[in-house]
Amino acid sequence: MREFDKDAGPPALILRDLRKSFAKTAVDGLNLTVRAGELYALLGPNGAGKTTTLRMVAGLLVPDSGEIEVFGLDARRRPIEAKRIIAWLPDEPMLYDKLDPLEYLEFVAGLWGAEPRRAQALANELLETLGLWEHRRERCEGFSRGMKQKVALAGALVHEPRLLMLDEPLTGLDAAVARQVKDLLATRVKQGATIILTTHILEVAERLADRIGIIQRGRLIAQGTLDQLRSAGGADHASLEEIFLDLTATNERAA
Amino acid sequence: MKRLRPGSLAWLAAHDLRQSWRSFDAALGGLTGLKATLLVGAILALHALFWQALRLSGSDGDVSRDAWLSPYVALGILFVLPGIVVQAMTAAARALYLHGDLELLFASPVSARAVLGARALSIAISAIAWFAILLFPLANVNAFAGRLHWLAIYPALIGCGLFGTGIGIGLALAFIWAVGPRRARLVSQIAATIVGALFVLGVQAYAMAPAASRASLMKALRTPVANEWLDWRGSLLLPARAATGDAAALGLWMVVAFAAFALATFALGKSFASAATSSAGARTAAPAMDGRKERAFRGSLGATLRSKERRLILRDPWLISQIVLQLIYMLPISFILWRNGGATGAPGVVFTPLIVVVGAQLAGSLAWLALSAEDAPDLLRAAPVSAAQIERHKIQAILAPIALLLCAPIVALAFVSPWSALCAALFTLGAGASTALLNLWRQTPSRRGLVLRRHSQSKFVGMIEHLLSIVWAVGAVIAVIGSWSALVPVALACLILWLSRSRSPRLNLAANA
Repeated sequence: MREFDKDAGPPALILRDLRKSFAKTAVDGLNLTVRAGELYALLGPNGAGKTTTLRMVAGLLVPDSGEIEVFGLDARRRPIEAKRIIAWLPDEPMLYDKLDPLEYLEFVAGLWGAEPRRAQALANELLETLGLWEHRRERCEGFSRGMKQKVALAGALVHEPRLLMLDEPLTGLDAAVARQVKDLLATRVKQGATIILTTHILEVAERLADRIGIIQRGRLIAQGTLDQLRSAGGADHASLEEIFLDLTATNERAA
Repeated sequence: MKRLRPGSLAWLAAHDLRQSWRSFDAALGGLTGLKATLLVGAILALHALFWQALRLSGSDGDVSRDAWLSPYVALGILFVLPGIVVQAMTAAARALYLHGDLELLFASPVSARAVLGARALSIAISAIAWFAILLFPLANVNAFAGRLHWLAIYPALIGCGLFGTGIGIGLALAFIWAVGPRRARLVSQIAATIVGALFVLGVQAYAMAPAASRASLMKALRTPVANEWLDWRGSLLLPARAATGDAAALGLWMVVAFAAFALATFALGKSFASAATSSAGARTAAPAMDGRKERAFRGSLGATLRSKERRLILRDPWLISQIVLQLIYMLPISFILWRNGGATGAPGVVFTPLIVVVGAQLAGSLAWLALSAEDAPDLLRAAPVSAAQIERHKIQAILAPIALLLCAPIVALAFVSPWSALCAALFTLGAGASTALLNLWRQTPSRRGLVLRRHSQSKFVGMIEHLLSIVWAVGAVIAVIGSWSALVPVALACLILWLSRSRSPRLNLAANA
C-alpha cells in the first residue's frame, strides 16, 4: 500500500462556514479542520448533521454556502479532482447484488480510474485481509450484512483514497467482523491515509480516534483529543460517553 | 377494529384492509375532501356514461336488446378471472418473499390459518376492487333501467375474487413444492406475468379473430350447452353465465368459488406458513460462479461500465422475462400497424413497423434500467467521473443488445426488400434513440424489478414513449412506400421529443460533478 507523509502538505479537510438546509437547518455554519494522516471521529446525536456534512464533502449534496477544501483542492470548484482522492462508505453498502466481490472491485477501480494491474493486486489483498477470498466468485445477493459491509469497505479502499469517510461503519457487524474492520482502519491510518468516521459506538471513537469532534444542531461544539475533551469538561477521568452526554446536554440547554 | 376480538380472523382482516387502504391513500397523495369528491364524481360520471350509452344503443327499455349485451359482459368476466388470478399470485408471492409483517404474525400465537385467511380476504377484496369500479356501475345502471338480473354481476365478481385468490395462492404454493423456494419466486413471478400477458393478448386476439369464430363464441355465451355441466364448455363458461343472471349457474359458481377459497385458505394455511419460513432461508443462497477463469481488470471506464450493465441484465432472469413480456404487451400496437399495412400485402410494409415499435420499446426499457434503476447511484455520484460521461457510457451499453436482437429480423427483411430493411434500420435507430433520450431526460428512479410497471410511476413518460413508437412506425411505413412524406412523422417525433425535454436537473445521477 502507498505510504503518505503525514506532515507534508495541507490538511486533509477544511470546512468553512458550511451550511445546508432541507425542511430545517441540517448544517449551520460548520467550521472543521481534519489533519492529514489522522483518524477523526465525528460524533453527535441523531440528526446533528454528521451524515449531511460527509455527503457534501463526498459531492453527493450541494451545500447552500460555505467552502470545502480537500488536501488543498477546492471541492466545490473542482469536484472531479477532489473525488479522485476521496472514498465514501455509507452505513448502507452501495453494492450490486448480481456482481461478485471481484467484479465489484473491478467496477469501482474502473470508476476511479485506478491502474488496473495495481488495483487487481490490491483487490486480491483486500479480499484476503477481510476474509472474503473464498467468496470472491459468489454474487453479493446472498451475503450477510457483515459480508456486504466488508465488500463495500474493500471497494472504498481499492482505489487507494487519501481521505476515507465512513458513516457508521460498524453498525450491525458482529464482534469478529467489527474487529477486522477496526484493524484494517488502524493499518490504513498507519500507512498515512486520513479517516473520518461517524459512530454511535463511543468506545470505537475512544480507542481508535486521534481526535474527536462533537457536532450538534449542525455546529461543532467541541473538538480535540480525548484528554483535551476531558480537560475542557473539567473531569480528568470521565469516559467519552460521560463527556459526550454532558456536552450535548449543556449545549441543548443553551440553545 | 376495537370491537373485534384481537387475533380473530375478522380482526386480522380489518388490520390488512387498513394497510391496503393506507397504501391507496398514499398512492393518491392523501385523500383530501376535494379528492374524495372528485372520486365520487368520477364514479357517478361513469354511471351517467353507461346510462347514456344504454340510451343511445336503444336498449334502455327494450329487454330483447339485453340478450345482445349480456354475452359481452360474460366475455368480460372471462377476461377478468385471469386478471384476478394474476393479482392473487403476485400478492401471494410478495407475501411469501417480501415478508413484511408475516414473520411478526407467524411468530405470534395467532393461528396460521387465521393469518392466511385474513391475507387472502384482503387480496380478494383488492383484486375485485379494480374490476368493480367498471362493472358495478354497469350493473347499477341496468338494474335502474328495470333489469334486476344484472345485479348478478355483484355476486359473480365476488365469486371471481374468491376463486381467483384460491387458485392464485394454490399455484404460488404449488411452485414452491415443485421447484423449491428459491426458484419458485422467479417461476411464480414469470407465470403471473404470462397470465397477465394472456389477459392482454386475449382481448386483442378476440378483436382480431375471424368474424365466424367471434360469432360462435358469442353464440356459446348466449346459449351455452344448457344443463350439461359436465361438458367442458359449460364448466368453462360457468362464471360468465353466473354474471348474466342465470340463477343455477350463479348458485353453482358461488359454491365452487367459496370451496376454492376455503381450500386454499384453511387447508393450505399450514403449508403457507412453512413455505414462508423456507422462503426466508432461500434469500441467503448465493449462486456461485466458480467455473469462470480469473481475468485481468479492465482499464477503461467505458468498458467497466458497459460490462457492469451487461452483467446486471444478463444475470437477472426475472428482468429478462419482464422485458420479453413488455415486448409481448407491445404486440397489439404492432398488430394494428400490421393489419393496416397488411392490406397492401408488401412484406416491407408489414414488418418494418413491427421492428420499429419493438426497437423503440426495447430501447426505452433498457435505458430506464441503466439510468433510472441504478442500484448504487451514490457510488456513481461519489466517483470522479461526470454524470454526462456515465450516462453516455450507459447509453452505449444498451445499444449493443438492441442491435443484436434486431439485427436478425432486419437482415431477414433485407433478403426480401433491401429498401425496407434500410428504412427499418434507420427508423429503428431514430425510434430507439428517441425513447432512450426521453428516459435520459425524464428519469424516474426505482427498483430494477419494476421495469414492467415503470410507466405507472410516470404516466407522462409512458404516454410519450408509446406516442414516439407509433409516430416512428408510421414514418417507417411511409418511407417504405417511398414517399418523402415520411419526413413529416420524423419531424413530429423530433418535436414531441424536444417538447418533452425536462428543464429540471436529472434526478438519478445529477451531483455537483
